[in-house]
Amino acid sequence: MAEKHKPAPMVDEVSEFEVLEVAVRELAIEKGLFSAEDHRRWTEYIHTLGPLPAARLVAKAWLDPEFKKLAVTDGVKASLDVGVDWISGMPTEFGTPSDYCNLRVLEDTPTVKHVVVCTLCSCYPRPILGQSPEWYRTPNYRRRLVRWPRQVLAEFGLQLPEGVTVRVEDSNQKSRFIVLPVRPEGTDGWSEDQLAEIVTRDCLIGVAVPKPGVTANTPRPVRPAVNPVEHH
Amino acid sequence: MADNKLPELDSTPIPLLEKVRSEGRVWEDLCEQYGVDNPDPPWKEALEGTCDALSAEACALPLLERRWEEDELSDDLYADVPYPERQLLALAHSMIRRGILDEEELARRMEEVTRRLNRV
Repeated sequence: MAEKHKPAPMVDEVSEFEVLEVAVRELAIEKGLFSAEDHRRWTEYIHTLGPLPAARLVAKAWLDPEFKKLAVTDGVKASLDVGVDWISGMPTEFGTPSDYCNLRVLEDTPTVKHVVVCTLCSCYPRPILGQSPEWYRTPNYRRRLVRWPRQVLAEFGLQLPEGVTVRVEDSNQKSRFIVLPVRPEGTDGWSEDQLAEIVTRDCLIGVAVPKPGVTANTPRPVRPAVNPVEHH
Repeated sequence: MADNKLPELDSTPIPLLEKVRSEGRVWEDLCEQYGVDNPDPPWKEALEGTCDALSAEACALPLLERRWEEDELSDDLYADVPYPERQLLALAHSMIRRGILDEEELARRMEEVTRRLNRV
């Protein structure tokens, strides 16, 4: 019996990085930059975030043409149907500087493929898609995608035929984007839950397309940028 | 025309953070040693909470400026540090260089926190 209750492995060591995180936070609170309550609120909010609401929004749009119309014309309103309130659902209750309350849903077609980037920093539709992956934050992805989108998508394993136009949408502090991919073949008769499972985070950013049987993101390489950063 | 250039970031190494960079054990290594497969360290969400609160509550460190400085430091000074440890070092670096935190004060607090977290 006891063998069935073995504790899960744990890191039994306090790292210098963990200590640094605690120390920075405590000093910021003591200096009045934010309160412990502010921090708790933000951290709990971050903990609730993930890609599931966006996947569900896409699945619903695939199944319901009326909902699809709503999604592509008013992403903020459509988000309410998947439990995301871009305006009053934020810890600030009026949107936030980093999660501004304007979501646009970019509809792919057989001849147009959208992909999302933030060339300025790493703006991302966190309320509906969760925290951004590391590669999305890198200057390498951000600079190269806008210049050589086809090549970068191919590095992600997405080879697009010549006849498909690639549209790169650049996020900013006012607008966030998710991609509504084309529903793949082989999914006839699927339920919303089944469809939502194949709409991965990478499909919603636009660097992958949904495929029956693929329910997880592939690990992506993170590459350094060659040229130094200069912000003007 | 107004000069919209951001203030120059002082990216010279900070001894306290250099010590963390060289001696600190990153999550990747700890996971391997202890057989843990959680992709993120337990302090990552707290770090994100700090970054958001710093930007949204008092604008002590606006998001965009923090991210730009993180990019610059990640390209160079902390290029060999994995994420999110790199994000944490960059945040502490920006706060020290802006005078929001004092290096000695942070060092003292880290000693206190180390004692507290290791007390069993």
